[in-house]
Amino acid sequence: MPAGRPGPAAQCARRPPPPLPLLLFCVLGAPRAGSGSHTAVISPQDPTLLIGSSLQATCSVHGDPPGATAEGLYWTLNGRRLPPELSRVLNASTLALALANLNGSRQQSGDNLVCHARDGSILAGSCLYVGLPPEKPFNISCWSKNMKDLTCRWTPGAHGETFLHTNYSLKYKLRWYGQDNTCEEYHTVGPHSCHIPKDLALFTPYEIWVEATNRLGSARSDVLTLDILDVVTTDPPPDVHVSRVGGLEDQLSVRWVSPPALKDFLFQAKYQIRYRVEDSVDWKVVDDVSNQTSCRLAGLKPGTVYFVQVRCNPFGIYGSKKAGIWSEWSHPTAASTPRSAERAGPGGGACEPRSGEPSSGPVRRELKQFLGWLKKHAYCSNLSFRLYDQWRAWMQKSHKTRNQHRTRGSCPRADGARREVLPDKL
Amino acid sequence: MSRREGSLEDPQADSSVSLLPHLEAKIRQTHSLAHLLTKYAEQLLQEYVQHQGDPFGLPGFSPPRLPVAGLSSPTPTHAALPVAERLRLDAAALAALPPLLDAVSRRQAELNPRAPRLLRRLEDAARQARALGAAVEAVLAALGAPAREPRPEPPTAATATVAAGVFPAKVLGLRVCGLYREWVSRTEGDLGQLVPGGPA
Repeated sequence: MPAGRPGPAAQCARRPPPPLPLLLFCVLGAPRAGSGSHTAVISPQDPTLLIGSSLQATCSVHGDPPGATAEGLYWTLNGRRLPPELSRVLNASTLALALANLNGSRQQSGDNLVCHARDGSILAGSCLYVGLPPEKPFNISCWSKNMKDLTCRWTPGAHGETFLHTNYSLKYKLRWYGQDNTCEEYHTVGPHSCHIPKDLALFTPYEIWVEATNRLGSARSDVLTLDILDVVTTDPPPDVHVSRVGGLEDQLSVRWVSPPALKDFLFQAKYQIRYRVEDSVDWKVVDDVSNQTSCRLAGLKPGTVYFVQVRCNPFGIYGSKKAGIWSEWSHPTAASTPRSAERAGPGGGACEPRSGEPSSGPVRRELKQFLGWLKKHAYCSNLSFRLYDQWRAWMQKSHKTRNQHRTRGSCPRADGARREVLPDKL
Repeated sequence: MSRREGSLEDPQADSSVSLLPHLEAKIRQTHSLAHLLTKYAEQLLQEYVQHQGDPFGLPGFSPPRLPVAGLSSPTPTHAALPVAERLRLDAAALAALPPLLDAVSRRQAELNPRAPRLLRRLEDAARQARALGAAVEAVLAALGAPAREPRPEPPTAATATVAAGVFPAKVLGLRVCGLYREWVSRTEGDLGQLVPGGPA
């Protein structure tokens, strides 16, 4: 801790400690009657100093018999004996110490500066608090779970290393009226976080900031202004089910339920699905799943176990223009694709529609258009995606190469309609 | 020698007295509790010195053994006393420890606010001392040798006249944690002599 180069003058900010109960009587160094022992007092007691500053301290001995001498006294700091050249005898009963360019305190309870007698016994002690004032906290982010509460997180200035215990206090108030409030539930989602559980207003902005205080000073963050409705998150979608799609070896169907907590608040939801192969850590994300509660994953590997998760982003609550905040991912749900001799291509990451659902891929989009045209012009009422999927399953099962063939079902030939259905062109 | 069951009049004959089963169970239970708390007390001491910084915890660290009002270490002659008297002293010490541990806990909450495990151990120690003290008193009562009259409550902080610096507070806390360890260990030893089949 001490160094040869003198630093700036010490800034000593003393805060008197609270008195201990009387039953804990003792002041270190209180003389014992008739013991003939010496005691001492260190000055200053428990100073607070800036990193890089200097300290001048004294150890004054007194005791029975009087005339106790400073000869033979020595200092230790955090258990290590200090070089004699840092000390000098001021007078018969006082030993002085000069420390320069102090480093930050090794522990938050203070560095232990101790004055010893010649025989090594402890005569007195003082705790040094060496550190830095706090810097401005920043990067405040907040979210509300289902509009019921508010949790905020921030980053301490200077990455938090002040070497002194620094207290952080999250404050908030309604923007145009109201008094300052202080958050009380800290460390809920990490060391620099706080949770406000109730009594929050909607449709009116809040101002939120963080105050950091330690023995050497205080600092205040910039003010964050937000409306609770603009930072809403919710629970992950419950009841996520993943199942096979008939015998289709490269598809899985994912179904979930919209989070119930916000069902009365007229919001639209966006969903994201992510999935991975069982023994992989790489997730594929499907993020164009808007306001629906099912999806089909296509282009998967046959005979493979997949883990699937879904999360939800509520937006448009009560007309808010902003997107909400993504929920946590649902618990992983697993399912396996049917096994086949043929290997499918690499996973596509697209969300294929289920039967009767709008198409999201180019092939199925065209197919949908064709089926719609057929129904209109050829009166094929029983044509559907389901029939198409059944056909695909049949094709895979029979292991036949796709050939052109005539199909003649219950579809009457419409004027201008093609006479033949060419499955391979679909 | 009295053949009254549960008598502590002749400690040498304790092992040969047929104690009532429930009393024997109570003694065993209290002895087990003391054994467990001895381990916890050792852990508390280690946790405490770690957070005060060196030289606390260094080999050879020998701070002044500060007197603590209302409590002192077991005397060297403690082991020579009759069992009933030893248990009475144990119970009295265990009753005196909780407010001391509470005071240390409050001080450490200021000095080491980011040491939740230390603060929790100090709070637990106060509760455990009360529990063990009550259990020892129950054993004494069952043996027909009740504990002495309770002492008056010590003065509160409002009447305190002593203000201590941080270093003396650290030393005092170390002393209290040390006393806690000494007395639960002493209680374990004293109860061990009552456990059937235990050392005489």
